[in-house]
Amino acid sequence: MYKLVIYFTKTMAKNVILVLIICFFISCKSDKMANYQKEYLRHVGDIELDSLKDNNNFKTCNGDDKVFQYFNLGNGPVYVGEKSALLRTFQTKYKPVLNKNQNGLIRIRFIVNCEGQAGRFRVLQSDSNFNETKFDEKIVSQLTEITKGIKDWVILYNKNDNPIDYYFYLVFKIDDGKILEILP
Amino acid sequence: MKTLFYLIFALSFSCSYSQPNCEAYRYYYKDTLKYEACKKAEQVEGHYQFSKEYQKILDESIKIDSTFAYAYARKSVAYLKSGDFITWKKLIDKAVKFNPQEYLGHRGYIRFLCFRDYKGAIKDLEKLDSLVNLDASYTLIGKDHLIIAKALCYKSIGEKEKAIEILEMHMNKEDYFVDLYDYLHLGVLYLEQKQYKKALQAFYKQSEDNELAENQFYLALTYKALKMPSNYIEHLKKAKNYILKEEKCFKLI
Repeated sequence: MYKLVIYFTKTMAKNVILVLIICFFISCKSDKMANYQKEYLRHVGDIELDSLKDNNNFKTCNGDDKVFQYFNLGNGPVYVGEKSALLRTFQTKYKPVLNKNQNGLIRIRFIVNCEGQAGRFRVLQSDSNFNETKFDEKIVSQLTEITKGIKDWVILYNKNDNPIDYYFYLVFKIDDGKILEILP
Repeated sequence: MKTLFYLIFALSFSCSYSQPNCEAYRYYYKDTLKYEACKKAEQVEGHYQFSKEYQKILDESIKIDSTFAYAYARKSVAYLKSGDFITWKKLIDKAVKFNPQEYLGHRGYIRFLCFRDYKGAIKDLEKLDSLVNLDASYTLIGKDHLIIAKALCYKSIGEKEKAIEILEMHMNKEDYFVDLYDYLHLGVLYLEQKQYKKALQAFYKQSEDNELAENQFYLALTYKALKMPSNYIEHLKKAKNYILKEEKCFKLI
């Protein structure tokens, strides 16, 4: 009787382990699949209104489902006063946070509406190998506030000469806490 | 005639990714899984690459064959264009992992062009060179030959002599096809290294092949360095005329 109990216990334990192993592999595969089966917004990069962090006075003119990308009209990035004006703004206003560990890319993406006003700023941060990271908050907050402080962006027009809303972004290459370059 | 040739040549490489031949997977590679993944990926045609429909179709293609590099590469483009370099890199890394010969050049070129990641670009291009004949490779976007791109990367990290060496070796080959801006790039390097006679030769060759406002500008700078003010002014005026008329200006893509 005792030997029978031991036998069944061992068999059950083996079965339980087998089931656990199978479950583990299934969940791994599901995770792999899940990475590429997420829910998408209308378009990659769309920014939905977040009433807690966005300026509620900023509005798109033509509706959120009609916001273009800045390059959709065949032109490259355009800046009021040319890129040199943008560079001067950051040169004068940004105070470098000198630190050899502060290296990588910071992207600030936003919508420019038909009146040349910008809103819905979103930040993305990576190290020099394009892995997500977090920079010193003093760097990120400065770049965000300076970007938000730019009052006029170029108004783009569609082929019917109607002003459009469009997504735009700035990518800051950070090197030791200093701005090395601003793209695009 | 030359312009027509360049136009046709550039257009043939102007698409971000051309659709692979799915039938090749079926009949040549006997890979039915890749064939099915490829056929699924074909369904993106007609959808905007940023759209969720486009992305979902490619997800389904990856679900059929998780090693189908083309699907990852195509997915990556919208993220790149929206400035999401983190997701772009994850996706293009997959494409490179499963088909390095096809996508290393592209990843390297994007690192150079879009992110000024010169060292990363050099690494990719030299890795590609070890796998295939880099001389036969062209970027899938933009006009620069990958070798020219590699030279420009070396230039950008301060290794100008190395950059000149790469360009000279490449451009002296018997079967070398002059690209639109090659002599301009070479001329600027010579100018920066104070090799003024060679710089002038390169810029005049550029004028013969494909005149540019920038070319006239750098000719002017060379004459300025040579203390020849009348030539300097003459070429500066030419450059200005072209720019004001928006003619003959350097275009990357």
